[in-house]
Amino acid sequence: MPSQSRDPKATKAKKTLPPRVNRGQLAIYAVLFAGVIIAVGPFLWMISASFMTLSEVNLTRLLPENLLWENYATALRRANFLDIELTTDPTSGILQSIGISGYLWNSLRITLISVSGSLVVCIPAAYAFARMDFIGRNFIFALFLSTMMIPGIVMLIPHLLTVIWLGRLSESLFGPAGAWFNNWPALTIPFFASVFNIFLLRQFFIQIPNDLWEAARIDGAGHFKFLRSVVLPLSKAPIMTIVTLGFIGSWNALMWPLLVTINDDWRPIAVGLSNFVTADTPGDLNLQMAASVITVIPILILYFVAQKQFTEGIAQTGIRG
Amino acid sequence: MNRHRATDIPRLGFFDTRRGRIVLENLTAYVFLAPAGLLIALFGLFPVAFAFFVSLHRWRRFPDHYNGLANYEKALGNLAYILFFWFALAAFALAALMIRRVLRALRESDSPTESLNLLSGLVCGYVALLVLDWFFKLIPAIMLIPRQVRGQNTSLELFMAKLGESFAMPEVLAAGNLMILGLLIAIGVTALTAWFFRSARSNDLIVWSAFATTLIVSGVFLLQLTLTEIRAALDAARESGEALPIWSQLVFVSAGVILIALAWRIFQRGINAQENRRFTLMAFSGLTLAVGGYLLMAELPAALAEADDDLLQGFWVTVMYAFGTVPVQLSVGLALAYLLFQPIRFRAFFRMVYFIPYITPFVATSIVFRVMFDAGKTAPANRVLSLFGIEPQRWILERNSIGELFGLPDFLAGPALALVVIMIYSTWTYIGYDAVIFLAGLGNIPGELYEAARIDGASGWRIFRHITLPMLSPTVFFLSLVAIIGTFQAFTQIWILRTGAVGSKVNTASVYIFDELQNSNRYGYASSMAFVLFALILLMTLFQNRVMGRRVFYA
Repeated sequence: MPSQSRDPKATKAKKTLPPRVNRGQLAIYAVLFAGVIIAVGPFLWMISASFMTLSEVNLTRLLPENLLWENYATALRRANFLDIELTTDPTSGILQSIGISGYLWNSLRITLISVSGSLVVCIPAAYAFARMDFIGRNFIFALFLSTMMIPGIVMLIPHLLTVIWLGRLSESLFGPAGAWFNNWPALTIPFFASVFNIFLLRQFFIQIPNDLWEAARIDGAGHFKFLRSVVLPLSKAPIMTIVTLGFIGSWNALMWPLLVTINDDWRPIAVGLSNFVTADTPGDLNLQMAASVITVIPILILYFVAQKQFTEGIAQTGIRG
Repeated sequence: MNRHRATDIPRLGFFDTRRGRIVLENLTAYVFLAPAGLLIALFGLFPVAFAFFVSLHRWRRFPDHYNGLANYEKALGNLAYILFFWFALAAFALAALMIRRVLRALRESDSPTESLNLLSGLVCGYVALLVLDWFFKLIPAIMLIPRQVRGQNTSLELFMAKLGESFAMPEVLAAGNLMILGLLIAIGVTALTAWFFRSARSNDLIVWSAFATTLIVSGVFLLQLTLTEIRAALDAARESGEALPIWSQLVFVSAGVILIALAWRIFQRGINAQENRRFTLMAFSGLTLAVGGYLLMAELPAALAEADDDLLQGFWVTVMYAFGTVPVQLSVGLALAYLLFQPIRFRAFFRMVYFIPYITPFVATSIVFRVMFDAGKTAPANRVLSLFGIEPQRWILERNSIGELFGLPDFLAGPALALVVIMIYSTWTYIGYDAVIFLAGLGNIPGELYEAARIDGASGWRIFRHITLPMLSPTVFFLSLVAIIGTFQAFTQIWILRTGAVGSKVNTASVYIFDELQNSNRYGYASSMAFVLFALILLMTLFQNRVMGRRVFYA
């Protein structure tokens, strides 16, 4: 695209102007700060309430009298978020094994598998669409894109049936460990090939100058080598966007895991939190808040780290449609 | 290094020739694509056909038996037959469109042999259907394997034996043989035409005619299915001595829709016409609209009499949800973005903060809203109300609609207060996202336009109305499309924020379908409802494209 007048450049150009603070500007700041309060108010109260006693939450105090850190310990245990079991040898006292379980651990594992799987599957596909010439390229790309239109609820049942079937097949191949249902494959494999990711990466790969490819080819590099040593190092920003989005996506997932998990072996944190809260009505609101804070923290950390590329990436996809 | 070697060695391998390099490039590309392609075929394309197949069956966890349109009839009453009739017609209309394209291309062509490419398209389209036919005869048997091997010692041999048995079933075998024969013929014909009659347009011709063939055959299939089902329903009704006015409903509802569409067209023309004709056209369109609307009002409820009330309520909730969230979130998002675009400090900070509600896990933020909008007198939301002297509300536990709370009559009642809480939640979540995208859109408007307008003496509002808004229209279009589709898919917030006290008053169609699936295991019925939802989304997208797309200005 030739018209690449980006937002950050405009920002920089305007920052050099000395901002005149007049009445109109004050009004703008007032509205924007009101927006900030509305946007983060619920979070701040959530954090504050997570340190309160139950009666303080019920009375809607703004701040707790004492910081009850033990709320977090109780929430972790009661909601079954994290459980670390150290097995030591009874005679010598040497650490034998560490057993980690709980929803937080499950979600972490699921997220790692699905994000890395998605990268492995989507990067080559996006590269092929962006930089290779092959028969049926446009047709296949249009076919891929058309699947983005289909609402998730239509796919739910066929996915379920396919997963059950493939699970049986892989169970008879690999034994009980190969099961799909109530195991990691059902929770991750269907989301490896994300058309959105392929589209986003392709848009970026296309912009890489062709001279680089010519130069690499003269040096005797093939597509694979070019992808690995030139394209990937250049594409940190879109890859970061994809990783962040994938992380958020699998941390958020509720509908599908509700269907394909039957016990806590692999159940992710969204389901765990949802079950904890709905089983606990009206319940210990302070603990619910603490559990929510625990759920939110990893995402917030990731967001603050990847924030810049991420918002840019989202904004770009939005404009291009 | 390699370059030297290539010149040193006189004999070149196949992959060093020009043709070889093209083959190599193709092969590499397919290798790169293979994992993604396989997964998308399995979890993206195949599910659509499969879901439709499931929806035609009684299917509880495992396939039971074929029962035609019964699931759709259960969901939509007689309207199901009417819809399927229209879908058949739509398939024919699309086919006609394809054929027109083919004819136009042929008229422009100068070589008469070019039309022989159509033969290849015809055969390929038909064979695609044969493949589908074979596949869907095989599927029920394959889907039963997990149940058959359950409990037994699962070994690969057993699984493969069962798989072999399903392939060898007589009707599967017959369809399979036909398919293989068809595939051979198709490959032969395509190779022959490609060899003898290849032209610049032959790819297009083959694809279009293949599509037309598939569409016509599926249209015939749909029409036959609909007619058989209607006849069966009529017979059943006659036996039990009831009257079943499917045909009259079909005629009246169709007439109503056609008249309304016609009124819209006339209205469009009336807007563009000169004064004299304008009035007559407007009056005429009003009249057509009135008649069409009357027909629909009279027959649609009757056609929907046997429909699933919970599903209809789900659609109604979805519509209210969309109207309550999308306009608010878009306009507030745009206003925020416009303010952020002014020369201010801390822009990056504001942008970062506004985005937070969108990226945090919905489950967690929904739970916060659940606590904030609790029914207790001292819950945060009621505290805020009491500041203004309003008495506390029951919020997420309130099944009465906001209209009733204000004492309005029934048909103006609007959404339940519990649903309003969910709307507030969604708006809160998406405003920041909309604002960030609008901000990027604003950054893409060239500054010269503003300069020019300012030189012409345009005021702030006029600049916004006549420059910013038109230039932003693609973004508005994109965001409203995303928002509406998002409404149909909303799940997490409703799952967390609904309470037993409000019953199904907050269940959108998706949530209701999910309930049917998880609690009652009705796979067939849930699939059919999902398809109705899909059709609705498609129709709305088309409608939005036509109505809004015309106003979108692409610079």
